[in-house]
Amino acid sequence: MKIDKDTIWIGGKDLEGDKELIEQAALETSLPAADSPLPMDIDESTSGNRRDFLKILGFSVGAAAVAGCEIPVKRAIPYVVKPDAIVPGVATYYASTFVHDGDVLPIIVKTREGRPIKIEGNSMSSMSRGGTSARAQASVLDLYDIDRIREPYMRNDEEGAEWKATDWASLDRAIQKALSSSSRPVLLTHTIVSPSSLALIDKMIAKYPGMRHVQYDAISSSALLQANKEDFGEALIPDYHFDKADVIASFGADFLGTWISPVEYAADYAERRKVRSLDDHRMSRHFQIEAGMSMTGSNADNRIPVRPSHMGSAIAYLHGKIAGGGGGSALPADAKKGLDVLADNLKAARGKSIVISNSNNKAEQKLVNAINARLGNYGSTMTFAHASLQRKGNDKDLRTLMADISAGRVDALITWGANPAYDTPEAAQFVEKAAGIKTKIALAYKKDETTLLADYVAPIHHTLESWGDAEPKRGLLSTIQPTISPLFTTRQAEESLMIWSEGVTDEVPDYRTFVQMNWKNTAFGAQTSFGSFDTFWENALQDGVVELSGGTELNYGGSASASGITRPSSDGLEISFTEKVGLGDGSYANNPWLQEMPDPVTRCSWGNYLAVPVTFDGDRKFVGYGGVEDDSEVVELAVGDYSISPSAIKQFGQKADTVSIALGYGRSAGGTCAKGIGVNLYPALTVDSDGNTQYYATDVDWKGSTGRKEKYYSSVQYHHTMGVTGIDSESGEKINADEQALADLPVKGFQGSLVNRSIIRRAHADELGEFIHDLQHEREHHQHLNDASLYPGHDELYNQGHHWGMHIDLNACIGCSACSVACMAENNVPVVGKREVSRHHEMTWLRIDRYYYGDVENPKTVYQPMMCQHCDNAPCENVCPVNATNHSSEGLNQMAYNRCVGTRYCANNCPYKVRRFNWLDYTTADTWPDNEPVLVEGTTLEYGADDLTRMVLNPDVTVRSRGVIEKCSFCAQRIQEGKLTAKKEGRRLRDADVKTACQTACPTGAIVFGDRNNPEGDLMTKYASPLNYIALEEVNVQSSVQYSARINNQDKKLEA
Amino acid sequence: MSAPISPVRNPLITGSKTYHQITEDLCSPTERAPNPTWVIAFLISVTVFGFGLFCIAWTIWKGIGTWGSNRTIGWAWDITNFVWWIGIGHAGTLISAILLLFRQKWRTGVNRAAEAMTIFAVMCAALFPGIHVGRAWVVFYFFPYPNTRGPLWPNFNSPLLWDLFAISTYFTVSLLFWYTGLVPDFATVRDRAKGIRKKVYNVLSFGWTGAAKHWQRWESLSLVLAGIATPLVLSVHTIVSFDFATSVIPGWHTTIFPPYFVAGAIFSGFAMVLTLMLITRKVLSLEDYITIEHVESMNKVILATGSIVGVAYLTELFIAWYSGYIYEQFAFFNRAVGIYWWSYFGMMACNVISPQFFWSKKLRRNVTFTFFMSIFINIGMWFERFVIIATTLARDYLPSSWSFYKPTWVEIGIYLGTMGLFFTLYLIFVRVAPVVAIAEVKSILKSSGDQYVKGHETYHETAPLREVHH
Repeated sequence: MKIDKDTIWIGGKDLEGDKELIEQAALETSLPAADSPLPMDIDESTSGNRRDFLKILGFSVGAAAVAGCEIPVKRAIPYVVKPDAIVPGVATYYASTFVHDGDVLPIIVKTREGRPIKIEGNSMSSMSRGGTSARAQASVLDLYDIDRIREPYMRNDEEGAEWKATDWASLDRAIQKALSSSSRPVLLTHTIVSPSSLALIDKMIAKYPGMRHVQYDAISSSALLQANKEDFGEALIPDYHFDKADVIASFGADFLGTWISPVEYAADYAERRKVRSLDDHRMSRHFQIEAGMSMTGSNADNRIPVRPSHMGSAIAYLHGKIAGGGGGSALPADAKKGLDVLADNLKAARGKSIVISNSNNKAEQKLVNAINARLGNYGSTMTFAHASLQRKGNDKDLRTLMADISAGRVDALITWGANPAYDTPEAAQFVEKAAGIKTKIALAYKKDETTLLADYVAPIHHTLESWGDAEPKRGLLSTIQPTISPLFTTRQAEESLMIWSEGVTDEVPDYRTFVQMNWKNTAFGAQTSFGSFDTFWENALQDGVVELSGGTELNYGGSASASGITRPSSDGLEISFTEKVGLGDGSYANNPWLQEMPDPVTRCSWGNYLAVPVTFDGDRKFVGYGGVEDDSEVVELAVGDYSISPSAIKQFGQKADTVSIALGYGRSAGGTCAKGIGVNLYPALTVDSDGNTQYYATDVDWKGSTGRKEKYYSSVQYHHTMGVTGIDSESGEKINADEQALADLPVKGFQGSLVNRSIIRRAHADELGEFIHDLQHEREHHQHLNDASLYPGHDELYNQGHHWGMHIDLNACIGCSACSVACMAENNVPVVGKREVSRHHEMTWLRIDRYYYGDVENPKTVYQPMMCQHCDNAPCENVCPVNATNHSSEGLNQMAYNRCVGTRYCANNCPYKVRRFNWLDYTTADTWPDNEPVLVEGTTLEYGADDLTRMVLNPDVTVRSRGVIEKCSFCAQRIQEGKLTAKKEGRRLRDADVKTACQTACPTGAIVFGDRNNPEGDLMTKYASPLNYIALEEVNVQSSVQYSARINNQDKKLEA
Repeated sequence: MSAPISPVRNPLITGSKTYHQITEDLCSPTERAPNPTWVIAFLISVTVFGFGLFCIAWTIWKGIGTWGSNRTIGWAWDITNFVWWIGIGHAGTLISAILLLFRQKWRTGVNRAAEAMTIFAVMCAALFPGIHVGRAWVVFYFFPYPNTRGPLWPNFNSPLLWDLFAISTYFTVSLLFWYTGLVPDFATVRDRAKGIRKKVYNVLSFGWTGAAKHWQRWESLSLVLAGIATPLVLSVHTIVSFDFATSVIPGWHTTIFPPYFVAGAIFSGFAMVLTLMLITRKVLSLEDYITIEHVESMNKVILATGSIVGVAYLTELFIAWYSGYIYEQFAFFNRAVGIYWWSYFGMMACNVISPQFFWSKKLRRNVTFTFFMSIFINIGMWFERFVIIATTLARDYLPSSWSFYKPTWVEIGIYLGTMGLFFTLYLIFVRVAPVVAIAEVKSILKSSGDQYVKGHETYHETAPLREVHH
């Protein structure tokens, strides 16, 4: 062959193409060089030349640089040996029970890769029927509370010494020694609903005979228990059947929000609020007698405002009307008028009514019992077979204990859950005298006020790490099983008590066994379904609930007299102390979800606000009590000799000359979110002659408004009304006062500017026919206009496959906000903190709008859950310049977070204002920390900046970064899961396969989600109601959410 | 460009200027060392601009949460400032393009500065869409370029995307127009310069020799660009108004917006031209080139456009009432007497009432009065955008979501920063380029120079023919 002169050659023979040489060369290299025109042209895959080298160099440098830019994935460690029960990406559900003092709910815990991330209701429970509360929903976040006590502590002998971390063995030794040397130890708890815990405590008392167990409730039902003890022989709270009541009268009891067992009551109540048939609406009629606007009162058909000190007289007056004998003559005429109407209604519904009261005055509760007895309600709407055990605290016991502590008669005190240094009227006294208690042991979860005083701190498990049981109602048992291994060196409280009382034996090595033994001895014997205990126990754990026959019915054998009721005070300012749906008695205060959840009534978060009454000046202004001009003005007042300066808000429906404010705030310890938020009112509580704590005060000295506004007033709703009426002073006519007040300049607003909006539809139960006629007429008109479009629309596409939609029954929505918290938990919605909320930067995907309407001094309320309406003609979608928000073929309005540039044009163009923008780095997702807002000013707590809090994140939902828009996705991840379930089972998807987080959380079943293309589905059944409407239908955004009108069943004799 | 001399037209160049004098007068500011006033003004402008840059960096570093906008009011000062600056940027093209086509000679005195102002204002405006987004580092998603994401294109339905095209086109054409005009003047400067300056200006003037062919091509290009730019004057603010008009928000969803926005833009643009020119003519002693005639002509445009804007405001009010649609009615009720009533009041007073003073010839020709009016109008036009954006969003459909907006220091800083940028650029401009178009002024000397306008009183004060003409 001829070698090209440009090719490399070796020697003359090579150049000449000497045959021998070439053959030899071929042999040497075994390469096909001999036949190749270019001897150097070898197989490319194994070769490398300068260019390739540079290419590879360039690529590797580039790849290294690109890889270096990525935010590193933290600690993703796969299982070495995969546990059987855990399939990555598949959730595992365990039945358990949410127990927080007297708040009990059977729940299902969703765990992912061994982490509990979401609470669902347990629909097998006849008590909750699958409903949940905001508190239960938020409890999973408590598990990952960064303020948890993570290991045992004890302090040296001398008082005031620093705590030192210790180990369990040393702590147990020290405590056992201390307890043995104590003659009068006391175990102080809130209500304990666990039969096994109570059995264990009994054993402990047997071991330490001088010991006693004191139960109390910070917000107590002591008088109710005492009255029932006297009238029925047992200190039990009856099982109220609100679903069987035609007439409900509540004297101050917030039974839908906070009183005894609100989820259960709400479910029953809603049964009789939903309009099932237009001819016979079967709605109950609800009277609420109260001073401030409670969540329950906001749902009432008739609110009768009375002063707190008049509550007893009101009960006595009603008693007089029902049972004869007079009483309550000192009441003002308007209250009497209301109670007369109530009495007529009750008398017409004998045996089908419920009268309740939250009064903590025994005589008043006995009067209520007498009214119910006279009406024949016991045995029908109020029974004792499954009497409630959710409140057991007797205030008298607490008073005795406090007296004993003051007198130095207590030498050892074990506190478990109870926080007497904060949540009792004697808190200050307790703190002062605590030094006199030789041994103070705290079974504590967080460093709260009482724990800080303790000598020994035994950190306890979260319920989700514990074994246990609960008996919220007689015969209704539920189990608690751990859903995660203990995160820290904590120990279940019961386990500690077992060890300290030397109850750990070979047969009963741990508390789990103790519970099992206890069940074997009690519940197992009381049932007949299972022959073997093991099957029974396994079944109980799996179901989470066991429902037994309950106790015997009790008969009323009491008497009542008005002699012990509260003495009415008819002049001067009065204050009532209330409880919030979120924070309760204050023990929930360190939960950021609950702090950020706006109160349903005031729509304020991160704080308690003094509600002051508001009147219309007849011209164009709403005037607050005592010169309060604007919401959030800091006012000064003294209750007795306790001075406070809370921020005030003008509260519609607050009785004249009364103010109210929630307990549970103003913590001085207990965690970063709890501390320093709001004002503590426990020191203002008083005690009546029976020793019961009173939740109102008449001795109020109003010092006036400072004119200063709270710096970070975290209200999510500035405008509260939609048609609140008042008398115009010029014309003397009734006008919509709020519309009049909308102008900032001294001109009058124009009438109709609020009520003519197509947002809320409401009607009276007796006028449904007329209402529906008008509504249909208006909707037809809107639809006619909407049809006049140039664009063909996409109905053809949506009519195939699925077309998701939602229905919300405004008549069933009570405003409880469980859905709102559930949504935060499910969708990784960040908490933004007080300052950010005050700037209207809250991130909630689902909010509950609250509007007042009707008489200015006693208005009615309507709640409207508002989330992305998934409009099929969405205004947000066409304005997005980058297609980041777009429509799925199933009618979902979707967000592609990665694509979002953050122009906020979509949020501006959303008529429902449901889009939320990540103004700052709320999820700590970017790489520098100085743009993460703190939750509470003055602290360094940034939500989710730590690995512990991040454990609560739902791995199915993207955590959004700064600068992108987010909003309700209709729980897209759940839709996907439901579709897969149906596919795996080879059938068409049913509406029940997909339930959104808000839907499952709702205790009243107000929210229904489903497929609009499934005519047999739950959703389409709901869509058929003529009461339905679409908010802002005439804007033609083609919303996928239908609301059912709010219906009121007011007794028209009480119409103002 | 000469036209027959009309005896009823007042001269546009006074002081009996010769061609050489014109060159001297207009080139000299670029040849002298800057005076202390300029230096102080420049330092202030640069400092303010620097603070603006800091605020922008702060925004991008920390997040839009450093601003006062919220879940209800997603746009506030950012887009208000954007629309305001874009509006200001309208006078330049109008003067250069439309007035050129209409053969308005008075444009020659002010077109250069007005065009420069347009370019600087559009730069200030374009800043806001870029930085108001949550993730400024991905704004390139706006651009329709082939990509590996599908390819994934931007949403051509979105008015924000139309904005992008409208503004970038407008900026490009305005820049070309301005630069084209500068070429012969740069050549003039070059011819007078020495050393490095000569070289620089030589490059800038593209080797202009003043040949007849150059002039011919230059004239043609000017006309072609004017033809292209004329629709842009109308389109840019029309499209900016689409940001609002195509939405569903009451108070935004209005068909009147395009003409109303365009009139408002010209209105504010002329006001800004006046503000600047009145200062410039004073500082650079250009009273002979920017005469009272020029001021009066611009005041007439202001009167006309201001009245159009006023009619638009009243039409909006009428239509809101006439629509019978509660949200629309309330939106306008709220603008007038709601929480932001003062901004509506400011807008009405500055934009509708104040230009009406220009019906008086005396006031139209009063420099001091004009100067204050031009400031008022710019304040009024800023309020107009604030009313449309923040006030409207603050009270839309759902009363539950109504909110309130207050700017933070960061937003104020960015706004001031754009002022700093604008004046920095303008001050540099007056140092490097003739602030009045030399070639164009020379072209009208023989038709509008006072020595040629026979019978004009300033020149022929003692002329015997005076009585004949008057």
